[in-house]
Amino acid sequence: MTSEQTPASPSDLNRRNLMKLSGLGLAAVPGLAACGRGFGGGGDDSGDGVTLNMVWWGDAVRAEKTQAALDLFMEANPGVNIEVEYQDSGPYQDKLATRFAAGDPPDLMAMRMDSLREYADRGALLDLNEHADAIDLSGLGESAATLAEVDGSVYGVPAGLNTIGFVIRKDFADQYGVAVPDGNTWSWDDLATFAKAISDASGGEVYGTGFDAQTLANLLVWTRQQGEDFFTEAGELGVTAATVEAWFSMIGGLRESGGYPPAGFFEEIGGGPDQSYVAQGKLASQIIPTNNFLGYNAACGGNLALLRIPGETQAVRRGQSIDCPHLWSVASQSKHPEEAIKLLDFLTNDPEASLATGTTRGVPANAAVAEEVKASLEPDDQLATDYLIALQGEDLPRSFTYPPGGSAIADFLDAVAVEVEFGRTTPAAGAAAFIEDAKAAIAG
Amino acid sequence: MTTETAVAADEAAVMPGAVVPPAPPQRKRRRRERKDRAGYLFLLPWFIGMLFTIVPFFASLYLAFTDYNLLNPPQLIGFDNFVAMFSDPVLHKSLQVTFIYTFVSVPLSLAAALGVAMVLNRGIKGLPWYRAVFYLPSLLGASVAVVLLWRYVFGLDGIVNAFLGWFGMDAIAWTSDPDYALTTLIILHVWTFGSPMVIFLAGLRQIPTMYYEAAAVDGASKWRRFRSITLPLLSPIIFFNLIQSLIASFQTFTQGFVMNNGGGGPANSTLFYNLYLYQQGFGQFNMGYASAMAWTLLVIIAVFTALTFFSAKYWVNYDN
Repeated sequence: MTSEQTPASPSDLNRRNLMKLSGLGLAAVPGLAACGRGFGGGGDDSGDGVTLNMVWWGDAVRAEKTQAALDLFMEANPGVNIEVEYQDSGPYQDKLATRFAAGDPPDLMAMRMDSLREYADRGALLDLNEHADAIDLSGLGESAATLAEVDGSVYGVPAGLNTIGFVIRKDFADQYGVAVPDGNTWSWDDLATFAKAISDASGGEVYGTGFDAQTLANLLVWTRQQGEDFFTEAGELGVTAATVEAWFSMIGGLRESGGYPPAGFFEEIGGGPDQSYVAQGKLASQIIPTNNFLGYNAACGGNLALLRIPGETQAVRRGQSIDCPHLWSVASQSKHPEEAIKLLDFLTNDPEASLATGTTRGVPANAAVAEEVKASLEPDDQLATDYLIALQGEDLPRSFTYPPGGSAIADFLDAVAVEVEFGRTTPAAGAAAFIEDAKAAIAG
Repeated sequence: MTTETAVAADEAAVMPGAVVPPAPPQRKRRRRERKDRAGYLFLLPWFIGMLFTIVPFFASLYLAFTDYNLLNPPQLIGFDNFVAMFSDPVLHKSLQVTFIYTFVSVPLSLAAALGVAMVLNRGIKGLPWYRAVFYLPSLLGASVAVVLLWRYVFGLDGIVNAFLGWFGMDAIAWTSDPDYALTTLIILHVWTFGSPMVIFLAGLRQIPTMYYEAAAVDGASKWRRFRSITLPLLSPIIFFNLIQSLIASFQTFTQGFVMNNGGGGPANSTLFYNLYLYQQGFGQFNMGYASAMAWTLLVIIAVFTALTFFSAKYWVNYDN
């Protein structure tokens, strides 16, 4: 394990001093200059300006769009320089935790929903409610504004909004003579009927449907439909073993009927929409995050229909919720909180910023901005945006933040779901084990 | 930098175990000193590396006795972390995975290495080329690229299942079935036998051919020659390779990390000890617990290394 050596006082260690110190100054310059941009940097203040450090995860396309928005901000705010670091989502968590541990947190950062309280409960994040004069969150819809709310404090702003949706390949439905169900009113039984019909008609070439039992977002909707909160307002586990068991049994039933692939079918194939099973033509339907609809539809030759999750009209209550790919949070130790909040306000409330970033992180959280940006989007992005805006206008039960320790729950679910999938344990025993582990993780 | 390393080198010079000959003649001593200096020069990279690891090393020893979540200062809690390890079923699962992996893959990969080394030792044409080819997987073995490649080889539509299909066997979910995922990783590990193979090859070439000739004259079978000449004379090399592989295998991380997006899945069947340690430290922010795990692993490795050393006197042949 290597530790990053951060100079105690960056200003003492500027380039010129180092050059004086070392006889080989000239040779050292390119190397040092490169260091300044790297991990843990942030001391390159020139003149009276302020340098903000902003970190997030994503790919090069997202980086380009983000930079375009940041350039607009820097143009309007001379003297503020923004130093961006971005990377893949995998190592992001580790690096962020290490930055905090080293006492050198970034000013503005992408925050995962399931990690929010790990940081917030330990006083690492700024309560934005205390800076309500500097950042206006009134433009956010009810479900968006409460996403990062803990006991009356707000520790983050959704970088964008998304949710999950069911995509169905219309070309397969046509080919096998199966009607695409009404996406607003279909039930889980309708899904089962549709899936079996496709699988049967294709002679096993194509499975009617396939979605991960172990993806928490999917189980969350199911849980809400049963009238339970996965996490309660008090930060406890609200889901019951019966609900988890029913989830496993429902998928087990789909599998037995042949509408859903056999155990072991889903492999960690990685990659984007291009490599997805629905694009490969092995599945006729699956669940996707709505902000990826454009990519999936392109990969499927424009043949996708976007439906809601089944069971929304038959269930005890609504299951779908407004979610976000990640939050923007400000570190409580930030040396420039004013500027960081100003930047956050710009990203959230200024249509110019959202026009630059598009929907790379989902639909803009500010409803007015979302409407304004919509016209400039690609048709598929518009469709996904409409889907989300419509959902936002409906009366959905509130979803509560992950309690501390909650990030381990995804790992437990993953392990248990596979045990059930391969018949190594029953849905009932698996559900009971999951509840026990999850409760222990939250209790700490 | 230069002064620090000089100090380190001086310290090492008075380390116990360094042989100090009783006042040799002036010229001889000077030559010896020059030789020593060359040795330390070769060790220099290690000393420099040590400077950077020594602080984290002892910091983690301290953290092992604390509750440390990376964000708040560590709180001393005595042996609580170590006690908690006894009642952590996931940790026990990770130990099980690591032990199975080590005790199956190390002997198999050493056997494969020795086998290929013996074939290559028969003086075939283009030996350097073959040596390089067989060594190649070791260079790539733990890399992400190869694990990804192997997922295609072992995928549901992969090469292996196509092969099994010719014999009318059902396709096996090599990477997503918890009963097979670890087996797949063991096969991958055995495939990366390159570095012990190169060392075996060097060892085989050291065995004087006259022993084999004499045995052949006496009518010893091939198997007899292998058992009575090759194995005993090669035993120091086998010992060395065994220790190396054992230690490396206990520390396996990448294979499990890549297998299932860092999760050690399916169903924790590839959750190596080091991978769980990483999850605890950086995923769950239990850095104190992770540190305690790291030191426990050190003890485990030390115990098995010591056992191997202890066993050496029964099977390693050092006399000449």
